[in-house]
Amino acid sequence: MTHIRPAAVAVFTACATLLLAAQAAPPPQQPTEVTFTISSATPGLPPKYAVPDFVALTADAETQAAARTIGEVLWADLKFEQEFYMIARDTYRTIPPAASLDQVPLDRWRELGADAVVVGTVRKTGSGVVVQVRLVEAASGRAALSKEYSGSIANPRLYAHTISDEIHLTQRAGLKGVARTKIAFTSDRDGERMKGPVVDRGISNIYMADYDGAHPRRVTVTKSLDITPAWSPDGRAIAYTSYRSGYQDIIVSYIYEGRMAKPANGNADRQNYLPVFSPDGSKIAFTSNRDGNPEIYVMNRDGSGIRRLTTNAAIDVTPTWSPTGNQIGFTSERSGTPQIYIMNVDGSGVRRITTEWSDRATWSPAPYNEIAYAARSGGGFDVKIWDFATQSIRQITNGIGSNESPAFAPNGRHLAFTSTRAGKEQIFTISRKGDDLRQVTREGMNRYPNWSQSPQ
Amino acid sequence: MPKVQQHDSGGSGRGRRGRSARVTTTLAEINVVPLVDVMLVLLIIFMVTAPMMQQGLAVNLPQSRRATPVTAQPVYVTVPADFSQRRVVQLDKDDVPIEVLQERVRQVMLPREDKSVFIRADGGGRIQDLITVMDKLKEGGVEKVGVVTTPPTK
Repeated sequence: MTHIRPAAVAVFTACATLLLAAQAAPPPQQPTEVTFTISSATPGLPPKYAVPDFVALTADAETQAAARTIGEVLWADLKFEQEFYMIARDTYRTIPPAASLDQVPLDRWRELGADAVVVGTVRKTGSGVVVQVRLVEAASGRAALSKEYSGSIANPRLYAHTISDEIHLTQRAGLKGVARTKIAFTSDRDGERMKGPVVDRGISNIYMADYDGAHPRRVTVTKSLDITPAWSPDGRAIAYTSYRSGYQDIIVSYIYEGRMAKPANGNADRQNYLPVFSPDGSKIAFTSNRDGNPEIYVMNRDGSGIRRLTTNAAIDVTPTWSPTGNQIGFTSERSGTPQIYIMNVDGSGVRRITTEWSDRATWSPAPYNEIAYAARSGGGFDVKIWDFATQSIRQITNGIGSNESPAFAPNGRHLAFTSTRAGKEQIFTISRKGDDLRQVTREGMNRYPNWSQSPQ
Repeated sequence: MPKVQQHDSGGSGRGRRGRSARVTTTLAEINVVPLVDVMLVLLIIFMVTAPMMQQGLAVNLPQSRRATPVTAQPVYVTVPADFSQRRVVQLDKDDVPIEVLQERVRQVMLPREDKSVFIRADGGGRIQDLITVMDKLKEGGVEKVGVVTTPPTK
């Protein structure tokens, strides 16, 4: 999988010299960019943003389609973090498109109540496209952001994602948006039947998609089961459980280099599963039955230095790291039913935090300090969150279908999880407050979501 | 939806002509479609007297004797006499073209508990104009519309 990474979308200011050398054209006039925050003119509402379609400066169909896509996707990306009031796009009809970035009909946008308008252009060049964008304050006409990007036209969504992250970063005091992050998951969508040691079960591979479900791509190719993916913190590798040897092995796939490492191979007496990278990426916590029954272990990324953390006759599984890397949460059956526990990374200080049947704990990234997990409710499960600050539990999903396998977005503001609410298990995202539910996958059966921790 | 059934006589359906006729009277479900229709068009409309302080364009308000005073923190929409030509209303003090009124009203209503708006319409205006404005208000999330009036002049 060496070609997964889309062609680099470079910020113009960062690569101006390179571009000039390649094109020998004068640089487009960049207005002086002043850093300021556009505020809302309506009490009780966040700043109101309008994102019309970008303007295609070349007449070909591909550029025009890209210009439309960027506007649509950018609007959705900005809406996702719920930081702005996004003015519905169907109300823009009567407003003429900007003739150029300097001629935006601001009086019309003000009539619509917009505090900010994101305008942009897309121009085809010999090697790809140049996308210019400006974030304009409707009241004053000043640009709070002015950028130019160049790259391939193959994936116009990436320009929108990049612009969205930039707007959140600059307009929302360093907020790290998730528009360029990816969700890895397990799917049987390719439908081949498995051949080999595990007879007559559907195959399952690791896939990755944009955070909104667009651009699903297959990461592993096996006629066996590859399940429970976990991103490395830098987003360059995915660790997962594989049955391809006939036993449960832990495999780390370096997805942009097309190389694979096997830090923990299984055999008949030794199964290894559910790997998770430590926050610094140097270690992997996992579950293994190498000493008789499933326990939690930690090893270095290359498989060396294995340490056992739990010593218990009951089953201990599903480790998850705290954002500091000092603690590990896990599921244990030591009380008779599966419950979520936490412990120090040396295995000391074990403490139980749940009282009802619970599994699949996942620790939030900072600044939140929360553990999401699936708690049994009725016939299925619901996602709940334990908050260390208030020592309290809140329910995120509302009992429709069975909801399992929560995974936090890298900024902790959303969760991905699986749900049967639409039929077969599919991946959904929801905000940490329990609103803004979105279905991410639709094809085949999809499980074990894991959200990449850095932009891709 | 209830099953569609055949009737030879359109009456009570209690005809006793063998097995097939006996089942015709069953109608166990409530047909919710008309109910939903009613809910969708429901917009509470009431009359209020004009307060002393008024915002927006001067309009000749309709006259009424049985109107209650306007209460706290109202949102006014003024429909001027020339609305038929210009298609512009005022939302509080802002001129707003009718095409974007629903979005502007949505922005004002969203943070408010009280989803009501007071219309200051010119008494000489067309009913159709008033209804057009009310349609937009409803679309913008308004639940109650007060029509501002003035006491009859002696």
